[in-house]
Amino acid sequence: MNGEGTKSAPFRRVLVRVLVAEVVVLLLLWLLQQRYTV
Amino acid sequence: MHPLNWAIVIAYLLYVSIDGIRRAKGTSKLDGYFLGNRNLPWWVVGLSVMATQLSAVTMIGTTGQGAVDGMRFVQFYFGLPIALVILGVTIVPFLHRAKVYTAYEFLERRFDAKTRSLTSFLFLLSRGLSCGTIIAAPAVVFSAIFGWPMLWSVALIGVPTVLYTMIGGVQAVAWTDVKQIILVISAVVAVVVVLLIRIPVSPDAALHLAGAVGRLRVFDFSFNLHETYTFWSGVIGGTFLMLSYFGTDQSQVQRYLTAKTVDEARSSHLISAYWKIPLQALILMVGVLVFVYYVFVMPPMYFNPAQGAAVQRANPAAYTQLEREHAAAWVGRERAAMALTVTPDSTSRDAFRASERELARVRTEALAQAEKVTGAPPVDVNYIIPRFVLAELPLGLAGVFIAAVMAAAMSAVAGELASLSSTTVIDFYKRWVRPEADDAHYLRISRAATGAWGIFACAVATFAATLGSLIEVVNRFGSFFYGSILGVFLLAMVPRTRANGAFFGLIAGLASVALVSVGAPSVSYLWYNVVAALTVVAAGLLLSAWTPRPRAHA
Repeated sequence: MNGEGTKSAPFRRVLVRVLVAEVVVLLLLWLLQQRYTV
Repeated sequence: MHPLNWAIVIAYLLYVSIDGIRRAKGTSKLDGYFLGNRNLPWWVVGLSVMATQLSAVTMIGTTGQGAVDGMRFVQFYFGLPIALVILGVTIVPFLHRAKVYTAYEFLERRFDAKTRSLTSFLFLLSRGLSCGTIIAAPAVVFSAIFGWPMLWSVALIGVPTVLYTMIGGVQAVAWTDVKQIILVISAVVAVVVVLLIRIPVSPDAALHLAGAVGRLRVFDFSFNLHETYTFWSGVIGGTFLMLSYFGTDQSQVQRYLTAKTVDEARSSHLISAYWKIPLQALILMVGVLVFVYYVFVMPPMYFNPAQGAAVQRANPAAYTQLEREHAAAWVGRERAAMALTVTPDSTSRDAFRASERELARVRTEALAQAEKVTGAPPVDVNYIIPRFVLAELPLGLAGVFIAAVMAAAMSAVAGELASLSSTTVIDFYKRWVRPEADDAHYLRISRAATGAWGIFACAVATFAATLGSLIEVVNRFGSFFYGSILGVFLLAMVPRTRANGAFFGLIAGLASVALVSVGAPSVSYLWYNVVAALTVVAAGLLLSAWTPRPRAHA
């Protein structure tokens, strides 16, 4: 994360990364729910 | 509590007070006091943003909510990364480049003084009161558990916080926040590890038990406007709430104004964007695991010891009867849980669910009895984790956890105090009372304002003893104004908006929230932000279209 959003990386790319990270986290939570909630 | 645990708590309080006061260096001017000379590293700003947002309500209320209601509260934060992404390209660069002290200062440049003053007044009103609730949350619990007067608990959290914020300004707040968030996360991780070691079944079996009674149900995809926590209210309502909170609430804006550059301000937000949902999920998981722990270890009938004692005193026969029923119901649930662990089929799952319902019935009856005796609504949920921590955690770790609860409260309160002080001084005192004075004068007034807001917050906290589920109270109160304030900032970005359009649009937004809060039409509070922001924007644009364009002066 260090340096993201700073001059080294265009901010648009960082925004896409944040959204991808959120989708991954939600997917993991969904898998947790699917495995254990019957 | 064991003397070693007390020693840890006292050591923490001393360390944080001294460390905060030490940071007063370089705050002899307003820029230093309110904005840390716009020179703080992005990671300090980012961790400070996270620390301010994570209060003791999270440590006590959210974990308790995890134990009784499961993980679904995490949906509340689904809009947060989206909001931070939007803010990164809109309000953050806008305000950072405007070189303002407060977000509301910008509104006068764009519109007029009355819009600025009304918006900053709404901020002072909502934040002033919520600051009190943030101290009250842990103070109520400490008082009930340790048997102290409420004033002592409030003073223990309030006095050091007011002291270092008053002396050190935002620099002290930000650097102490860093240490406080590290303490909080370490304590939460340590509790999860202890729980996993102490629960007598495997982590997989523990999660199966929690899942069988719905504690691991995260997503609710139903589009129900009356239901508070659904996927849609989190993504849509939550995005609006977080846009307003991170984009227009001075307690957050002040933080990213301390960053060196726009890019560093954006980067500081990315820490929350990446880590807020996992952290909240972990905090709720503490509650879920505490629920499983109490499947195998008999929990107290009342987590709030004061209520248990009151019922026992007022009606000993009913108390004994309830206690007997509670013990029998717990034994039934433990056996059903063991059976489900050994034979994970639908029959044993149904039996476990039935036993859980029976125990819940007894607890509901016990709480109704407490309400009858004390006359106050029982808020047992906020006592689950503190009772667990004090009774079950190993020596030393209980002290660390109590210190972490205090750290969470102090970091949130310090951020609020700094922002209340800057708004009072910049948007009211400097704007209306004394526009021309030297920095030394404003600095004296700023310190006095911080102290005065601290005393006000402590007074509110002392009287805010019975408040329902505390987390909802804080969020609900914010939602009365957040959406409307966000609407004004959105209007500021539309070039054709006129000052009167923004001002009366803001009033229309407040009226719309007043209408939906009394139930015409009735929606859950997370939707207030959407209703208010859209009303402000629509009314503001309509009114601006009717307002003649001001003539350019020759």
